[in-house]
Amino acid sequence: MNDIGEFTLLVALATALYGCVAYVMSARGNRIDLYLSADKTPFIVWACIAISSICLWKAFLTDDFSLQYVWAYSNRELDTFYKVSSFWGGQKGSLLFWTLLLSTYMLVVYFQNRSKNLRVVPYAMAIMLAILVFFLFLINFSTNPFERIPLPPEDGRGLNPLLQNYWMVIHPPTLYLGYVGFTVPFAFAVAALISKNLDDGWIRMTRKWTLISWFFLCMGNLFGASWAYVELGWGGYWAWDPVENAAFMPLLIATAFLHSVMIQEKKDMMKVWNMSLILLTFAMTIFGTFITRSGLIQSVHTFDEATLGYYFLAFLFVIIVACVALIISRLPLLKSANELDSFLSRESSFLFNNLVLLGIAFATFWGTIFPIISEAVRGVKITVGPPFYNQVNVPIGLALLALIGIGPVIAWRRATLSNLKKNFLKPLIAAIVAAVVLYPFIPLGSRTEIYTYTTFVLCVFVLASIGTEFYKGTVSRMGLHEESVVGALATVTWRNKRRYGGYIVHIGVVLIFAGIAGSQAYGTHTEKHLQPGESFEIRGYTIKYEKLIAVEATNIKTRIIAQLAVERDGRRYWTGHPEKEFYKGQNQPVSEVDVLSTWKEDLYMILADFREDESATIKVYVNPMVSWMWTGGWIIAFGTMISMWPDRLEQRRRLDRVRKQEQLFPAPAQE
Amino acid sequence: MKQKKVRFLVGSLLIVGAIGYLITMGISNTSQYFFTVDELMSQKVSFAGTGLKVKGKVVNGSIQRDPNDYLDVKFFIEENSASLKVAYQGVTPDMFIDGGEVVVEGTLGKDGIFHANTLLTSCPSKYEAEKEAGKMHPGTLPQADKYQKPGLNKAEVLPKTTI
Repeated sequence: MNDIGEFTLLVALATALYGCVAYVMSARGNRIDLYLSADKTPFIVWACIAISSICLWKAFLTDDFSLQYVWAYSNRELDTFYKVSSFWGGQKGSLLFWTLLLSTYMLVVYFQNRSKNLRVVPYAMAIMLAILVFFLFLINFSTNPFERIPLPPEDGRGLNPLLQNYWMVIHPPTLYLGYVGFTVPFAFAVAALISKNLDDGWIRMTRKWTLISWFFLCMGNLFGASWAYVELGWGGYWAWDPVENAAFMPLLIATAFLHSVMIQEKKDMMKVWNMSLILLTFAMTIFGTFITRSGLIQSVHTFDEATLGYYFLAFLFVIIVACVALIISRLPLLKSANELDSFLSRESSFLFNNLVLLGIAFATFWGTIFPIISEAVRGVKITVGPPFYNQVNVPIGLALLALIGIGPVIAWRRATLSNLKKNFLKPLIAAIVAAVVLYPFIPLGSRTEIYTYTTFVLCVFVLASIGTEFYKGTVSRMGLHEESVVGALATVTWRNKRRYGGYIVHIGVVLIFAGIAGSQAYGTHTEKHLQPGESFEIRGYTIKYEKLIAVEATNIKTRIIAQLAVERDGRRYWTGHPEKEFYKGQNQPVSEVDVLSTWKEDLYMILADFREDESATIKVYVNPMVSWMWTGGWIIAFGTMISMWPDRLEQRRRLDRVRKQEQLFPAPAQE
Repeated sequence: MKQKKVRFLVGSLLIVGAIGYLITMGISNTSQYFFTVDELMSQKVSFAGTGLKVKGKVVNGSIQRDPNDYLDVKFFIEENSASLKVAYQGVTPDMFIDGGEVVVEGTLGKDGIFHANTLLTSCPSKYEAEKEAGKMHPGTLPQADKYQKPGLNKAEVLPKTTI
């Protein structure tokens, strides 16, 4: 089995290499024979990688410790559930997993676009195959997951207990699906540049791909945050760690891209800008991989002894140089047909939104690489931590929040005073009312408190502006048809999926903003060393340490549980059970926190330490509004679903366009 | 037409400038020097009173806890035979053990004691299960290190490769 896995990887590499060359040659030389042969490679490459992945999975499930990778990340007692997810627990497997996802995406693209648009698609396939060649090269010659141990050991080393959490099964694949997904729009963008088909065809063809990748990246970030929150036990969800930043930056740039492509579709503007954004997004995903795998920047996430990073750096360099050269050589073809008319217009609000998003991305990037730069320039390592990111990104984020409110209601082309008044009166009134109502309840002493107050007021402003949009749509629908309010609202949303789906995503984003503001500004925590029976108070809760319980959960896991009574107004109201888990063969226990989550606040308890005499150190956080963020995440998911849902009207329009295009440019090679 | 372009250019430059200003201010207000213990000791300028980040290994047996206040910890960190005394108040992470690599953030006092307000443990192979179970955390259960399968010992003679 392992030999098959190793062999198929080699076959995949060879086939991908051939396919890449053959696609390019067939497109350049108009050679149908080569095209027909090249067009078989995506499936072969995918099948080889799939077989090889199945072999690795089988090795995990059958406890085949002759593979060094299986030995390092699994043992006999590990749950089957985690054996499956150990596949991406380490460097080698995660690269294979990446390759598997990429080839699967490629296969879907292949079936979607078979013998469609033969001027662009062959190049796009060639680009994707070229990227696959890079990954397959690494897997085959640098980090082979099928590396053997000559004398197979009895048992494996086991998976790090921190990774034995259901988020481990969900979070990395989600993030990878997002990361890898951006390869598709990137490949089409480059293909459009090479083949000089520079209308918005590539954008429309990959719109769904961009949305799907954005969605997975967004969810991956949120899942990562909630994993950190429930598993790492430090009371927070985001630490501005380099690796978190690495996942955050492509998300920001992709968000900018999602918005600015609308301008290109509607107004035929910002072509160079969109090209640059998608190239930058893809470059950022590779940069993120480089950070994670080079160990150059200190982070809790790094894989061990990862010299692999430098391959990624070289790859990144090649991509950036090639793409910049390509864009420059096509500049005359990328001229915009229109110009921006006025500062006060939908178009310019999109432009500002882009600048602000890129600003946040750049600040994050700068903070992440600052230690390296300062060491190179000044010879001393200077680091920046969360205070830097908060100080810089919070004001920019507030500007972004304001733009979310302004964007949807400002007029296209040029807003006049009268339509400004018409569109902004209601949201502004709502914001002023909110400002007045909230004023007595919110302290305004420090800068943080002023920021938080501003955030809440802006959140109300944005919700009101989105609300008026829904209201306008519903009322006009009800004026034309006999429908109930709910029915009209649903129809309006369903008829304009992209627009209203987007608004729903914005509502989710607003909730996330509110949740971050609330939890950052009004959280509190305290830690106490207690004897059984002792208690302390925090924010009106009385927390009483009752007893310590030891449970032998399985033969590899022992749990030490502290029982904490939570009382409010003299009444017992909840019992918390934070615990520490000890795994066989690990000298590092894992803290399991217990959280009482309500929409108002989370009561977050950690058993920090305990001693022989049953005294224990308990740390308790009160984190307000954290659940708002998770709710926001689900709303974003719902909104994205709506805007991604296949739209028959749009499909018909697209088919017409494709037909027209094929009449204009007869396809060079067809069976 | 031209005037319009200039206006947009100015507007965009204002935004970019504002972001640039925020970044520079942020860096100068919040940045910290990052040293290993020996680098810090060999600096000619005194860093007393400024915010620092220092990396080193916990000296074996140097962890002292105040018997009356469990959260009060004092220990030494070392790197290349230079050592530094650290005082820290708070819960220590699970990985805070003798010989473990730590990063402390705080200020260096005039008395030469480093007052840490954050204590981070860093582990080069965070994603890997720990091999040897010899060293113990104060809270570790006694039975946790009894398990030593023959297979594990055999495996340790493997050449080190990337995983």
